[in-house]
Amino acid sequence: MSRSASQSASQSACSASSPPPNMSAEQAALVEKHPCFSKGAHQFARMHLAVAPACNIQCNYCNRKFDCSNETRPGVSSSLLSPAAAVQRFAKVKQRIPETQVVGIAGPGDPLANPNATLATLKAVGQHDDEVHLCVSTNGLELEDQLPKLLEIGVKHLTITINCIDAAIGEQIYAWVYFNGRRLRGKHAAQTLIDRQLKGLKLAIEAGMLVKVNTVLIPGINDWHIAELAEELQRYGAFVHNVMPLISDPAHGTYFGLMGQRGPTDEELAQARSDAGVSMAQMTHCQQCRADAVGKLGEQVNVDEIPEVVPAELTVAVASRSGEYIDQHFGYAKSFDLFRVGKAGVEALAARDIEAYCRGQNECDEDEAQLRMSRALHTLEGVDVLLCSRIGLPPRQALQEAGISVNTELALKTTPEALEQIRQQLLEKSAQGSCAKECG
Amino acid sequence: MALRITRSCIGCNACKLVCPQKAVVRDAHGYAINAHRCDECVSQPNPPQCGEICPIECAIVDNEGRALNPLGSLTGIPCEQEQVIQLTELAGHV
Repeated sequence: MSRSASQSASQSACSASSPPPNMSAEQAALVEKHPCFSKGAHQFARMHLAVAPACNIQCNYCNRKFDCSNETRPGVSSSLLSPAAAVQRFAKVKQRIPETQVVGIAGPGDPLANPNATLATLKAVGQHDDEVHLCVSTNGLELEDQLPKLLEIGVKHLTITINCIDAAIGEQIYAWVYFNGRRLRGKHAAQTLIDRQLKGLKLAIEAGMLVKVNTVLIPGINDWHIAELAEELQRYGAFVHNVMPLISDPAHGTYFGLMGQRGPTDEELAQARSDAGVSMAQMTHCQQCRADAVGKLGEQVNVDEIPEVVPAELTVAVASRSGEYIDQHFGYAKSFDLFRVGKAGVEALAARDIEAYCRGQNECDEDEAQLRMSRALHTLEGVDVLLCSRIGLPPRQALQEAGISVNTELALKTTPEALEQIRQQLLEKSAQGSCAKECG
Repeated sequence: MALRITRSCIGCNACKLVCPQKAVVRDAHGYAINAHRCDECVSQPNPPQCGEICPIECAIVDNEGRALNPLGSLTGIPCEQEQVIQLTELAGHV
């Protein structure tokens, strides 16, 4: 065992835990509370929200059928979340673990291959808690295109996995890359990915993001290339470099695992980190955690055991044709009556008008439907629950993804009856929540 | 003329995101292609988009059951190895 080797590696690489001298005050503040960027931030917790199942490349160390073995362990995470559910999960975890300072999206696929889910989730988390650091971990293929939106919602931490900057090496690591509507293979695929990664890296750094680069160390494939890679990363201005050992257990069913590609020994890993350490500050405390990890590094919290967060009040929108009953189809509603339902009672708010979502044609023009849906979402901003008699599946999903829960079970009750029922549920839930808290 | 999603699908949602006809639907049973909307991307400059991005071999087939991505075409893992995995998976389900 190479205790001395790994120790010397972590000593030579301690720059990751004590910030480099050329770091700006703003950067120092960003690093301070992020456990994945600074060893010194280990008392803070991070949370990954698994809202991004799709991926646009295939790495030979990843198997999409099972939990992936490397990095953020893409592939399958325990359960996939809608953005709305993800924000609820965050609220729940934040209440139980107030040290949660970082919310990241790391998969299980590539976050930027799922831009809508990723952006909607981060935006909603940011609105819920304006102090939390938002973070994305990507393969970099779509970074250039998505960067403006990431900046707009306040993402300041970014991790890009760059395993090499040479397409001849890359073609041994990536089976294919989906770009501009085509599945690319071989050297062309690798070159496309590398070009896009470096372009994204450059733009993200120029925009002031703190960028960590992850590299999976694969003996015989990219180990001899690590120093060259690190030199290039330094030239671009990456903040910290995280060289991680390949995990290639054949039981994970990855290409590398099944083809007998071995992972690095401790000595090889220490050597690679020391080679890369010549140009780049090294991170050595990475836990290669999952796309749904929660808590401090190295600990996994079971979110299901944390009781639900019960809001103090709910804003409810009602679609009513008669003005008396819940009797309007969402698609035909021209206005929504708004109510604030609190534990103490129900208060009417100003109604909101909307252009009807559905125009009764047999098949809507898809773009127009989307435009109207975004208008509907705008009208319903701030609403927690929508009550209507009926609603189509696509608008129901769109509303739920925007964090609005849709309820058609109260159809044909009078509005006051329905609102009272919601108030009772609120009371019941908060009683359960406080009991769970007391009982531990 | 329409493509179909088989039981190999892992539900990664990628095809739904890239389908230009918005033909991929998700329901309680998983993912499926709406045959009325799917034109196998003949109206598009690129090959069928679901087939281009799908990471799973044999998960998307044409109306004669031919896989757009046959066994061995995506991961590079030789077929014998792949069969071993499938057998292991089956054994796991028993």
